[in-house]
Amino acid sequence: MVESGSAPLVRVENVSKHFPVRLGATLKAVDGVSFEIRSGECLGLVGESGCGKSTLGRLIARLIPVTSGRIVFDGIDLTRLGGRRLRRLRRDFQMIFQDPFASLDPRMTVGDIIAEPLANYGLSRGRARDRRVQELLEVVGLSPSFVNRYPHEFSGGQRQRIGIARALALQPRLVICDEPVSALDVSIQSQIINLLEDLRHRFHLTYLFIAHDLAVVRHISDRVLVMYLGKIVEVADSGEIYAAPRHPYTRALLSAVPLPDPRKERRRSLVELAGEIPSPISPPPGCRFHTRCPLAEVPGICSEQEPPLEEKEPAHLAACHFSDRVSAMGALEPPGDGPPAAPVAGEPPPRRGTLLTDPSPGRPAPGA
Amino acid sequence: MSPPLLEVRDLRIRFFTEDGEVRAVEGVSFDLQEGEILGIVGESGCGKSMTALSIMGLVPEPGRVTGGEIRFKGRDLLSMAPDEVRDIRGKDIAMIFQDPLSSLNPVLKTGFQVAEPMLAHQRADKRRALARAVELLRQVRVPAAEQRARDYPFQLSGGMRQRAMIAMGLANAPSMLIADEPTTALDVTVQAQILDLLRTLNRETRTAIVLITHNLAVVAGLCSRVIVMYAGQIVEEGSVFDLFERPQHPYTWLLLRSVPRLDRTRPERLRSIEGLPPDLIAPPPGCRFHPRCPFRIEPCFTEPPPLQEVGPGQRAACWVTMRRAHEEMGAATLLDVRPGAGSGVHGPIREPHRG
Repeated sequence: MVESGSAPLVRVENVSKHFPVRLGATLKAVDGVSFEIRSGECLGLVGESGCGKSTLGRLIARLIPVTSGRIVFDGIDLTRLGGRRLRRLRRDFQMIFQDPFASLDPRMTVGDIIAEPLANYGLSRGRARDRRVQELLEVVGLSPSFVNRYPHEFSGGQRQRIGIARALALQPRLVICDEPVSALDVSIQSQIINLLEDLRHRFHLTYLFIAHDLAVVRHISDRVLVMYLGKIVEVADSGEIYAAPRHPYTRALLSAVPLPDPRKERRRSLVELAGEIPSPISPPPGCRFHTRCPLAEVPGICSEQEPPLEEKEPAHLAACHFSDRVSAMGALEPPGDGPPAAPVAGEPPPRRGTLLTDPSPGRPAPGA
Repeated sequence: MSPPLLEVRDLRIRFFTEDGEVRAVEGVSFDLQEGEILGIVGESGCGKSMTALSIMGLVPEPGRVTGGEIRFKGRDLLSMAPDEVRDIRGKDIAMIFQDPLSSLNPVLKTGFQVAEPMLAHQRADKRRALARAVELLRQVRVPAAEQRARDYPFQLSGGMRQRAMIAMGLANAPSMLIADEPTTALDVTVQAQILDLLRTLNRETRTAIVLITHNLAVVAGLCSRVIVMYAGQIVEEGSVFDLFERPQHPYTWLLLRSVPRLDRTRPERLRSIEGLPPDLIAPPPGCRFHPRCPFRIEPCFTEPPPLQEVGPGQRAACWVTMRRAHEEMGAATLLDVRPGAGSGVHGPIREPHRG
């Protein structure tokens, strides 16, 4: 775990991204968000489709320019950087994409795909580069003999491994993972999640992990950030945000996640949200969530005043006028219930993967 | 007990490709009772969708049903004349799909599309059918139903489109609804509403539902009975409680332990299932799961295990079963999930046998 005092690797300061849609109108995909990514942490970013999470990831990867605000990477303002200086810095942040089928050039061999970043930066050549490519394949759990094969010869999970090898080629410090496992089958998902965790510890990486699956995000992240309609509504340690959410939207999201347990499912109480997500072209005034919020006082403060994202408890931020009422929305299933089938309850924590070379400090207990 | 609504017996589906015959579904048998909600779960390529499509007569080229029977209310759909079958499909059996946008016609108004199955089966004239369509949209909780009936699909949100699809499926009051990944394309809050709707409709109309999904959690809340498929075959079947609490097939057991869960203390590490599903042109001999199974023993390599009773109302196709894996192989304390790791017969490092 990263101490809360550790220096941020990335500072996002009041960043907005507006897309022009038709005469005069703009779509506010990301609207004035501020947060930091701490060095060495895995920061989860969740929200439903259209909330702006992927746009935010692309802004930080500097794939698209900001409309306003600053993104400071290791002390350098990325938004003002261009040309050669940006190019030099880009080595330090790489991206892994959702669709392993669309993000690899079908006409390039696996070896060429992984070697391309090395070639772009003139790093290692000839025999040394070949060795590096084979090493990267081994690092992601693929056979080095695959170098001359093409992407179509691989399954989704294997392609995602190729994408990960490519992202690691330049030894980045930050890896932005945009829905890296959501296109994969269940049994393959866990392989890739375990691999990403191993790599993070082995190479001391920092992750921004963007996903819509709340269970996956809780599993892999140290801290979690929740977005709704272009805004951050809540940020906290991952154990904390799941155990005691302070924003009604987070609470509603958590209540909607189905659990693979027939008994818990049958006594689940769903927090119903009114209506549908409003258009980000004309977001509601005041709190953007007020049109759907079960706690909102409308007309009143919620429809008139935008709640600031502020500390409700140490290291737990929420943007809600009535965050103290969220706990009264009903308790969530307490985590930690042993399964009814007794033999499994006493399972010891599985051994770490063989990829791990140095014994890294374990993750914190949930809620710690 | 009354005879089952649907009886599938020894269903076989093959795809005739340039690379060879893909054995997509091989020897699948199951029943569906009236008013029941049955879940069929498995990963992509396991044959769950093909099984569903074969009931509707929609197996795409170059695929073909090559054997078996699909008896609906006692009559075999596979041996019926095409127009006899047409009388049943869309009327007594309806199907909804994963992506409502690509399954709705973009140039026809939503209300008309919901009314169309009634018109196709001459159950109402146009005016009455359209009025009934609005009623159906209301029944599936579409707000401002009259207005929405006049909208085109692109004007509706994803959740509303899926509701319209469900309304269309219910138009002729079918006795059976097949839902193929109905919530996979939806956000989690919308998914919860659609699942709730399916549950309510089942209770109100007694329509039996076959829910096909890759998501175990979706099955847990909605279904009373569950079938797990792997590589074209049923590997386990049982009540939702037995299957989730006492899974007997190692694939089911591992699948349940490989997903991160919000209701459990966060584990250090997820269990994974090593390797990949097999190529169905040349599936492995013996049990199709043996190349990935940590508990495999000698017979698993050569003899396909039959689907047999492992408890009251529960069947599994496994020579070992989890009961034995727990008792004799220490499954609960097994750290290494690599193929063969728990069996003691084969060393944990040994490569899986090649066909």
